[in-house]
Amino acid sequence: MKFAPSKASLQLALMLAAIPLAPAFAHTGTGVAGGLTSGFLHPLTGPDHLVAMIAVGLWGAQLGKPAIWVLPITFPLVMAIGGLIGLSGMELPLVEFIIAFSGLALGAMVALNVRPPLAISSALVALFAIFHGYAHGRELPEAADATAYAVGFVVATGMLHLVGILIGALITRPAGAGIVRACGAAIGCVGLYFMLAAAGVVG
Amino acid sequence: MIRHVALALLAALTVLTTLLPARAHEASMAVMTLREVEPNRYVGHWTMPPADISAHPIFPEHCTWEMPQLDCGSRGLSGPLSFTGLGKNQSVATIRVVPREGDTQAYTVSVAKPVVTMAQNPGTNPAVWLDLAETYVNLGIDHILLGIDHLMFVLGLIWLVGRGWPLVRVITAFTIGHSLSLGAAAFGIVGIPERPLNAAIALSIVFVGVEIVKLQRGQIGLTARYPWTVAFGFGLLHGIGFATALTNLGIPQSTLPIALLFFNVGVEIGQLAFVAAVLALLWAHRQANALLPRWGAAMPAYVIGSIASFWFLGRL
Amino acid sequence: MNNGLRWATAAGMLLGMPGAAQAHLVDTRLGDFYGGALHPLTDLQQMLPWVALAALTALQRPERARWVVLCFPVSLLIGCVAALALPEPPFAQLLDVSLVAFTGLALAAAVALPLPALLGITALMGVLHGYENARAMAADTDQILFLSGVTLIGYAVLTLLIGAAAAFLRGKEGWRPIALRAGGSWVAAVGIMVLGLQLFSPGAN
Repeated sequence: MKFAPSKASLQLALMLAAIPLAPAFAHTGTGVAGGLTSGFLHPLTGPDHLVAMIAVGLWGAQLGKPAIWVLPITFPLVMAIGGLIGLSGMELPLVEFIIAFSGLALGAMVALNVRPPLAISSALVALFAIFHGYAHGRELPEAADATAYAVGFVVATGMLHLVGILIGALITRPAGAGIVRACGAAIGCVGLYFMLAAAGVVG
Repeated sequence: MIRHVALALLAALTVLTTLLPARAHEASMAVMTLREVEPNRYVGHWTMPPADISAHPIFPEHCTWEMPQLDCGSRGLSGPLSFTGLGKNQSVATIRVVPREGDTQAYTVSVAKPVVTMAQNPGTNPAVWLDLAETYVNLGIDHILLGIDHLMFVLGLIWLVGRGWPLVRVITAFTIGHSLSLGAAAFGIVGIPERPLNAAIALSIVFVGVEIVKLQRGQIGLTARYPWTVAFGFGLLHGIGFATALTNLGIPQSTLPIALLFFNVGVEIGQLAFVAAVLALLWAHRQANALLPRWGAAMPAYVIGSIASFWFLGRL
Repeated sequence: MNNGLRWATAAGMLLGMPGAAQAHLVDTRLGDFYGGALHPLTDLQQMLPWVALAALTALQRPERARWVVLCFPVSLLIGCVAALALPEPPFAQLLDVSLVAFTGLALAAAVALPLPALLGITALMGVLHGYENARAMAADTDQILFLSGVTLIGYAVLTLLIGAAAAFLRGKEGWRPIALRAGGSWVAAVGIMVLGLQLFSPGAN
């Protein structure tokens, strides 16, 4: 599947592509570097993925223990299950819509400081993880080197979580809680935009 | 103390590499001499033919090369020089250019530095100096990384003196020692035939092994008493060994000092990388609590000693 | 700095890749010993389970590590030698990827393994990877040099990883083991998906 690349994300992609790995392309015949780069860039170049993953980290940090511990360990595994569904050729409905919705929903949770029990928040995040993993998994067979591709996108996703968690760490500071909630609101807006775009209302 | 914190496996595994040095120094070399017979026309012949007969130099595009004649026209012999067939059997090729006037020049092409720029007057062209630097730094790195006897001696020194400042001082003394003798040997001031030299280098490793065992038995050995002096002395010996790698290339006197400098820089880079790797491994062993039991503490020293003795006998 | 290890891992992987491209260069430049030493480092399907195994070992009781440090290179060597005599078993590819998923899952779950189980995994991985690296030799490769390179790098890298993980866990903060386990979960995710790829579309990779 394809995500409409925005100008900013294109620039980011070009920048990232140019700096660390470009020389490797010139020399390598194997697809390891290529697979790693494309996998790494995949979550970063789709802004709907990007904000949703940051929101996951933010929410985890906002919920505090034990969510902040459960999340980084279980998310990649659930995402892998989504990846398996994508690989199996099974069709999930409304993928783009739900991925965009995940940004909106998670952003809203953070903005409104919603604190459901761990089971419910986990289930919600797990559902979104499956759809995100599905989208990545669909691309896996076309990757130059599947292992490298998988490593790339898993690392990128984890780093996005980390960004969210680090922003979320502000919460212990005075006024930090407000900043975290504002970030959540911003993410919710981005999610809303992509959701409308997926539904064909805008864009 | 490091002698109690001995590496569990490193020494045992070095047994595997017993056969390394004999092969490592086999890298064969080709030398072609080009003599200028008319302005910008040269006649070439193999002073030392390549291992692979079909290997040949690739001259700058404006030159026409038909063994043994090279005609470079008015632009002269300048531009990129490379060599076919560099690789497993042939790691280094040197082209010596003997002009009608002025000094002989030499260009060394290696796997590490497959293209060099030929220039008629290297004294003024920074690109040529850069070429020289790249070539000889890489040669130095390769030489030390492939010279397992030198590396094993350094390993023994680390074992003997531990870490921190004592190690820095001993490694520095060893470095100064081998730099001095490398220079002296490259300029032909001192010279030792290769066989006894290699045997003596092997013996120096046996000596370090014995010193480690002595230290572990609580005796104060020579190295424990005069660590720098011993390191410096053996440095002198090993430096002459490094020089044989350099003099084999047939570098002309005019470029020798600079080649020597860069080669030595390369050797130091390789040596520091090795020291860093060993220290990192020692650290990891302490962190992982994976240390040799008391009864096995002397084993690595015996392993080092026996391998080196084996070399010594083989080189006699 | 939370999850510093993750950053380091990610950065290391990214930095390592351009190096991978030059593997063949070092191969010819520094000879077969270094060629063998570099070979496993360029293969993610080997490096990922090494990292997971090292972290898993560090999470166990401290006196376990020494046996893993001893067992791994020995099994690598056994695998190397086995490759010289035996044909490739048909399940090697699948087992290889399964090991990525398995070690990753074990680390993510932070299971407390009895020593024989830990050494069993270590030995299996060592033999399998030794085997695969040895298969990469060309006809004119010096076998002794190449295989000692493989064995020595296996010993060095695994020991360094275990040491680093043990040092990392020495801090008492609760997030440290969590960070390691999160790393394991990543490795497992990669393993599961590549395994899925092999099962659903064999021959794709």
